[in-house]
Amino acid sequence: MSAGQQPPLRAVHVSKRYRLDQGGEFEAVKDVSFEVAAGECFGLLGPNGAGKSTIIQCISGFYPTSDGQVFVAGHNVWTEPKRARQNLGVCNQEDTLDSDFNVFDQLVRHGSYFRLPPKIARERAQRLIERFGLGDKANDPIESLSGGLRRRLQVARALISEPSVLVLDEPTTGLDPDARRVLWDILTEARGRGVAILLSTHYMDEAERLCDRIALLHKGRLLDLDTPERLIDKHIGRREVEEEVRPGVVWKRAPNLEDVFLKLAGHKLHAEDA
Amino acid sequence: MRLPDWAWGVACVWLRYYAVLTKSVVYYLVTTFVEPLLYLLSFGVGVASMVGALHVGGTTLSYRSFIFSGIIAQTLLFQGFYEGAFGAFVRMYYQRIFQAIAITPITLSEVLWGELIWDATKATVAAEVVALMGVLTGEFAPASLVLLLPVCFVSALLFSGLGLLSAARAKNIEQLSYPQYLFVFPMFLFCGVFFPIENLPPAFQIAAWALPLTSVASLVRTLTLGLPFQIWTIPILAAWLGVLVVLSRHAMIRRLVK
Repeated sequence: MSAGQQPPLRAVHVSKRYRLDQGGEFEAVKDVSFEVAAGECFGLLGPNGAGKSTIIQCISGFYPTSDGQVFVAGHNVWTEPKRARQNLGVCNQEDTLDSDFNVFDQLVRHGSYFRLPPKIARERAQRLIERFGLGDKANDPIESLSGGLRRRLQVARALISEPSVLVLDEPTTGLDPDARRVLWDILTEARGRGVAILLSTHYMDEAERLCDRIALLHKGRLLDLDTPERLIDKHIGRREVEEEVRPGVVWKRAPNLEDVFLKLAGHKLHAEDA
Repeated sequence: MRLPDWAWGVACVWLRYYAVLTKSVVYYLVTTFVEPLLYLLSFGVGVASMVGALHVGGTTLSYRSFIFSGIIAQTLLFQGFYEGAFGAFVRMYYQRIFQAIAITPITLSEVLWGELIWDATKATVAAEVVALMGVLTGEFAPASLVLLLPVCFVSALLFSGLGLLSAARAKNIEQLSYPQYLFVFPMFLFCGVFFPIENLPPAFQIAAWALPLTSVASLVRTLTLGLPFQIWTIPILAAWLGVLVVLSRHAMIRRLVK
């Protein structure tokens, strides 16, 4: 199969074990496989510690997998990192914006890492700044931006190379509802342009709203993988569930992915032991 | 001509650092040149007036010439180490620049080469400016500026490697004080910057020769003042260079890549 016929992103039997400082190993991801098609938004949903960020570090080629491979645009990210990453935009969970450059220069500089000619990098940076509502901030230093704007800029930066695969690790964590909605619109637009999006989140509503398919992760294992609707049908199979919202007060509501996760993992997405 | 991808990656990192430097030229000038200038004034003018001629390696020279060439070696040590240690620690730990660049087509290996070569470039330029002052004040011949260039760059790369290794091993920025006080300052004081190491007891001389700054100072004085070439300086520097560059890159990759 040629690179062009393959899905833009493929994770094949990926496992990842970490060395522990005190000796021994910890298996953070265990035999996870999935594919993301062009124009698809694929969600990794799970609590903290489920292995979402580790999978993303393996996809970006920053961490090697212990077993299995990741292919971006048909290229193995570990053995052909340059070719794979030329097609990959990554927005890490942690803020990695380069505080030595202002908003516009940040994007142009990041474009240079993809070997974009300066003129094209500047044109794209200008377009992204407009599209992401950062027009009046173009010459501002990074420190002056709010958390929401920084996140938006980090997503914009991941798009400077016009990648066929966009990977976002918890892109809306810590954002207020308005900022989350702006980011959701931006991702929906990118998907409309045919970008394959991989999104990790622990927000059930975000996964349900944005993702065509969802991989439910728990302690590094893939619990199930399907569309949100089919996951709910398959594992809950009812139109209504009851939830005790306060002691003695029970509401009936439509089932959601939280109920699916509770059934499969035995606890809620935001449970402490996660 | 299109650079090979790896060379372009390294150049790209170097150019990023250069772009940052051009934004704060005054800061660069102050932090780079004030220190060697103060040493030159204090020792080259103040102390030199109390010290007569020195007899080193069968040659007689003024203390001012001796200290001028020593400050070139000291500049390579301080500039290379501080940029590699504190500069790289801030970029890696606080700014997360290594992590941000190494998920683009530029690999972490290229980022670290770019870091080391940048640190060495900065230190080389600083040392060459000190040497230029020596030429302008008549201490050295103009040709020494050219002759010094490869020695300065290799030495700066070595000290940058020491800095980067320190940054890779430090849990927090305070821990960079350990290599600074236990390695950099002893070299600064006892490796021939301020006085000929022949003044030290024999056992201390052996210890001083085992440290890289002694060889750097010796080579710099050969090229600027015409002191005898000591051939063992080459294997000593080559060994330190190899060990520090390899170890620093390995330690930083091990720290960042799980």
